[in-house]
Amino acid sequence: MSDETDDLPDGLETRRRRRWTGLFSLTVSRWWQRATGTTAGRIVSTVAAVALTIAFLLVVTGIALSLADGGVTTTDDATVHITPEAQQTLSSVDGVEGPRLGKTNERASTIRAHDGVAHASPVLIEVGRLEAGGDPQTVQLVGVVPDGESRTVSGLSTDALEDGDPHYANGSYDGPRTGGIVLSRIAADRLGASAGDDLTVSTSPRRATNFSVTAVSETDGGAPVALVHASELQSLSGAADGELADRMVIWGEPDAARSAAADAYPDASVAVTDTADPTALFDDGLAFATSVIALVVGVTICASFVATTMGMTVDEDRRTLAVLESVGVPARGRLAVIAISTGITTLVGSVVGVGLGAAGIAGVNAVASATVAPGAVAQFHPLFVPYGIAVAVLAGIVAVPYPLAVAARTSVLAEVGR
Amino acid sequence: MFNRSAQDSRSSAIEADSRESTTAVRLEGVTHQYGSGGGRLRSSDERTVTALRDVSFDVPMGSILGLEGPSGSGKSTILHAVAGLLVPTDGNVLLCGTDLTALSDAERTRMRRRHIGIVFQRFHLLPSLSARANVALPLVQAGISRSDRRARATALLEAVGLGDRSTHLPGELSGGERQRVAIARALSTDPDVIVADEPTGELDTATGADVLELLTDIGRDRAVVVASHDATTLSVADRVITLRDGQVDDVR
Repeated sequence: MSDETDDLPDGLETRRRRRWTGLFSLTVSRWWQRATGTTAGRIVSTVAAVALTIAFLLVVTGIALSLADGGVTTTDDATVHITPEAQQTLSSVDGVEGPRLGKTNERASTIRAHDGVAHASPVLIEVGRLEAGGDPQTVQLVGVVPDGESRTVSGLSTDALEDGDPHYANGSYDGPRTGGIVLSRIAADRLGASAGDDLTVSTSPRRATNFSVTAVSETDGGAPVALVHASELQSLSGAADGELADRMVIWGEPDAARSAAADAYPDASVAVTDTADPTALFDDGLAFATSVIALVVGVTICASFVATTMGMTVDEDRRTLAVLESVGVPARGRLAVIAISTGITTLVGSVVGVGLGAAGIAGVNAVASATVAPGAVAQFHPLFVPYGIAVAVLAGIVAVPYPLAVAARTSVLAEVGR
Repeated sequence: MFNRSAQDSRSSAIEADSRESTTAVRLEGVTHQYGSGGGRLRSSDERTVTALRDVSFDVPMGSILGLEGPSGSGKSTILHAVAGLLVPTDGNVLLCGTDLTALSDAERTRMRRRHIGIVFQRFHLLPSLSARANVALPLVQAGISRSDRRARATALLEAVGLGDRSTHLPGELSGGERQRVAIARALSTDPDVIVADEPTGELDTATGADVLELLTDIGRDRAVVVASHDATTLSVADRVITLRDGQVDDVR
């Protein structure tokens, strides 16, 4: 005897579909009634636990993504970043520093000529020692080409630097030096320097040059950073040969900026900077480990809570299972009701959790900006939405065997006899 | 009110055969021991309690059989065996000609869906579903379309006098109304046999009388097996079996 012999006029597939859609709608209806009824406590607490776990996961992953994306040294307001691919070896000191882009000043000019591109600048990053009469301090020097517009590179405003890059002089590097330097607040505090003070800047014991502080940026509070003109830093660090830079930043319309970047550096990595690149997590060991730990902890906590609370819910709901059996719903259908109910709980929890995660990231950034960091320390990526839901679904799949086992032990005779 | 021709006109060779048979339920030498390992396929040396001893009877289609006896006499065990919820340790339970004891769990569940409607003393409605959804519950597994389920459930609720209460939750209904919803649910798949365990046990006299009138109507073209302590309830039965210590003590 089988379902195939059922005596309804409809086809087998139609009846099977109606059964499953009927069981699904029955489960959804029951879930909704219970979630909004007077006995909503357990469902609400399960949804809340899933939501908080997913939110925690997304906040930690958002911080890890921000770490992987470079932190304070890449907090630019540029539209597009060009960075060398790992296999490109244009490094000035190959094997010690990472790969760099070549011909950057020349190609920046080419990029600026594209329609839709407002400005392009090479960005060279070197570690330098600065001295203002007191103890020398180690500072991250960032070389950039300002254009007269208000822009931010590495968290510092370029406003106080002279427009253009006169020392470059079409690649001869014999133009006049402006000698201007913008310090972050923490760099200025450590050096005991203020606007108008002279500094000695060196990138090696044999290379030292004088600069004059043109401004101290109040927007930077996290790391000691200083902005100078790109060509002056290239000359100081030896990166003038080959016009090397760590990356190119472009301002303008995203599509035009991306197209110009791809034309100038077809083999380099081009990223629109208004969204973080989640693949960066795989390139940074600490960020990757952090996000993996958050994932494992999240799945474990979420699955444990879902399994426990759903198991307790099923235990209280044995009479319903007994009634379903008494009206002819087979074991497969009864277990499906439990599985669907668990799935709905985790799905709703994940959706709430993604919302809480986005709010949490915004909150963390607000707190960080108000206290220790110059800007965002966590990033929200659109992929976090499916990621959060997928993690919750995974936790639900891990958890569901327990409530199913509880349901399978239900004795219809014991329940209907009460 | 519950004439089967007025209800769903499903037809099949299987059901036609079963309804032509005059015997809807037959118990042949049924013995059941609780604590014996759960059924005839397992034996055990555990201490056992014998709930039924060599019980045999027939219930023809169109009749009501009453089961009476003190608590522990085996009334509920017989109902559960007839409904396929329990496999007796020994003997055969034939439902519309099919021996339930020879079937698998899944096959018994399917037989129950097609041929049995159960009315419990404590109603056992799902509290989070409306009266109509409770009545339509057995139709879900039968593969009936949503619109047909609603239509059939609405018609049955009207038939039991609850047409205006179809959207109410069980908690919003009185005891008598809940039992009438439970009876409508038992009838929703148009079963051949209704088993009712103390159907008026939770009801006052007047409400119980209404429920008995419903059962009498139902029993005109179905087999009804009703277990009760109450003489008034058993008065609707065509035949009453008195059980004592799991054995048939009297038939009248």
